[in-house]
Amino acid sequence: MTTSAILLIAISVITTGLVLGVIFSLVAAGVTIVYGSIWLPNAANGQFFLTAALICWSFATWLAVPIWVAALLTLAVSLPISYLLEATLIRRFYDVPDRNIAYFVVTLGVTQILSGIFSVTYGRWSDQFNLPPMIGGVTFIGPFPMTNNRIFVLAAATVLLALLFAMLRFHPYGRALRAVFQNREAAALRGVNVRAIYRLSFALGMLSIFAGGILYGMAYSFDLTVAWTMAVTAFAIMIVGGPGSVLGAVVVGMVFGFTQAGVSIFTNPTLATFSYLAAMLVILLIKPSGLFSR
Amino acid sequence: MKGFLGTAVRPQLLVLLVAGVALALLVSANRFFAFVVGITMISIMWAAGMNLLTGYTGLVSLAYAGIAGISAYGTVGLVMRFGWSFWLAMPVAATGAAVVGVLLGLPSLRLKGFYFALSSLVIQTVLSLGFVYFVNLTNGDTGISQIPPPDIPLAGASFHGAAFDLLLTCAAWLSLVAAWAVTHSPFGRRLVAIREDEVLAEAIGIDVMRNKMLVFFVGSLFAGVGGALYATYVGFASPRSFDLLSSLSIWLMVAFGGRGTLMGPIIGALVLAPIPFMLQQYDTLKDVIYGALIIAVIVLMPGGVYGALLTCFRKAPAIRRRLLKHGGIVANDGSLRRS
Repeated sequence: MTTSAILLIAISVITTGLVLGVIFSLVAAGVTIVYGSIWLPNAANGQFFLTAALICWSFATWLAVPIWVAALLTLAVSLPISYLLEATLIRRFYDVPDRNIAYFVVTLGVTQILSGIFSVTYGRWSDQFNLPPMIGGVTFIGPFPMTNNRIFVLAAATVLLALLFAMLRFHPYGRALRAVFQNREAAALRGVNVRAIYRLSFALGMLSIFAGGILYGMAYSFDLTVAWTMAVTAFAIMIVGGPGSVLGAVVVGMVFGFTQAGVSIFTNPTLATFSYLAAMLVILLIKPSGLFSR
Repeated sequence: MKGFLGTAVRPQLLVLLVAGVALALLVSANRFFAFVVGITMISIMWAAGMNLLTGYTGLVSLAYAGIAGISAYGTVGLVMRFGWSFWLAMPVAATGAAVVGVLLGLPSLRLKGFYFALSSLVIQTVLSLGFVYFVNLTNGDTGISQIPPPDIPLAGASFHGAAFDLLLTCAAWLSLVAAWAVTHSPFGRRLVAIREDEVLAEAIGIDVMRNKMLVFFVGSLFAGVGGALYATYVGFASPRSFDLLSSLSIWLMVAFGGRGTLMGPIIGALVLAPIPFMLQQYDTLKDVIYGALIIAVIVLMPGGVYGALLTCFRKAPAIRRRLLKHGGIVANDGSLRRS
């Protein structure tokens, strides 16, 4: 193999890894925030991720609105969806001691409902879904091309992650949220409205997952199976990074993104999923609290 | 063994046997209904095993269908490739599957609640991928078709039609007897103790890991025998039959009927197993219905149908007592107590 071929592979792994990594991190951050505060392991995260991409696709295709309008509309749609879910399902279990297992099974039920619905609707309409590019054109990194669209996706996801971090660190709501992560009773005693924070974190988590889905749809063509892969990946990231740790989600998300990019070049991408599962199992067995837990 | 025989002649279990045989004979004229009943019988067996894990011990094992799959593929392989008799292949494959199940589950048995369920989900996913991946053993996504039915030993014939239905009925009944025997033994009471409070159980001298391992083995045996019967009854085995959704469906049967009761799995299987057959070409609707039921059971009816019945007759102690006696509730689980 010539040096330029190696370089080409390296650059392609790096660019794909970066794009996939930030998207994984965004989704996993959404999942981990919700688990950290409400103890809700959202097994349906992959389906919500797909829902976002499909809604965005529907807006762009049927309403023929520009893609950025479609993306913003989709993010807006996530709010009533979160509210409805919170009010009808999630809220009921806030006071149940072992609620994570109940939530887990409930979200598996949600997964089944959504995948059933999608397979008879979108699944019949098309095999592959493509969103129109946000920005046309190609930028050359040295001699190697990368579409401007993917650069935009990378930038947007990075900005969103940075915003999420800033919000958690500096905004009063974000600080209250982290207080609830650490110790809900103490937070309540200090005057934090724990239930309001639960609601906020659920909406925030859904927003992250939706943003991840939209950006993924912009960067790659997708089909319905992406939901399952994403669900497994996000869960693996959450468990390995440590449930409730956004930093862990980002670090492990980037690692998994590069793994996916590297494995996809040489062999079957399913092997990457296998490696996430293996990593999750190993962490579950030796350190269930994850690598980045406090 | 005395416990098992003593259990088998209990009147309520004999009634169930008579009812099952009557049902199988009643529908035997119509192959379609007979087939639905046959699948329901296998589901009862699966649900009875899952009930031991979920209902009595509190382990939500989502790798259940995967273990059934190992046994099914094992049996089919031994019968079709090596010409073994089904009656030799099935016990070997089921025991093998149960051993594999225990080995896979061994590390995760230390985990509790959600973490156990999650690692079992991971194991199930790996098994599903494995069924597709090892094409020379499982024929991949295409599946193995034209699986011969079990032979009748020494008679040179094999189980067909009504005879096979009756065989499945007997198998389902035997699994219920076994489940009853297990849950009414000291071992069963230890399981309930573990479910109610693991730390407390450990403190009063119960070896939690050992008992969990044992019940995981026994539950996996149910899964394995059911898997072998399923593959030979349907005549077809594919990774789709033993995926996560199948595990969830079996879990749903137990939870819908009533966790930790003898009647629960029966009710759950009787109601839920026929649903996919009634929907025919709308079979994706099955996923939606099952999904909605999963949510409904957890939110509205944590004790399942049987638990709801008990709540209904709270004001009628005589009926309640009869229900408790015949349903074989050992102790209410946390969710039942809430209702």
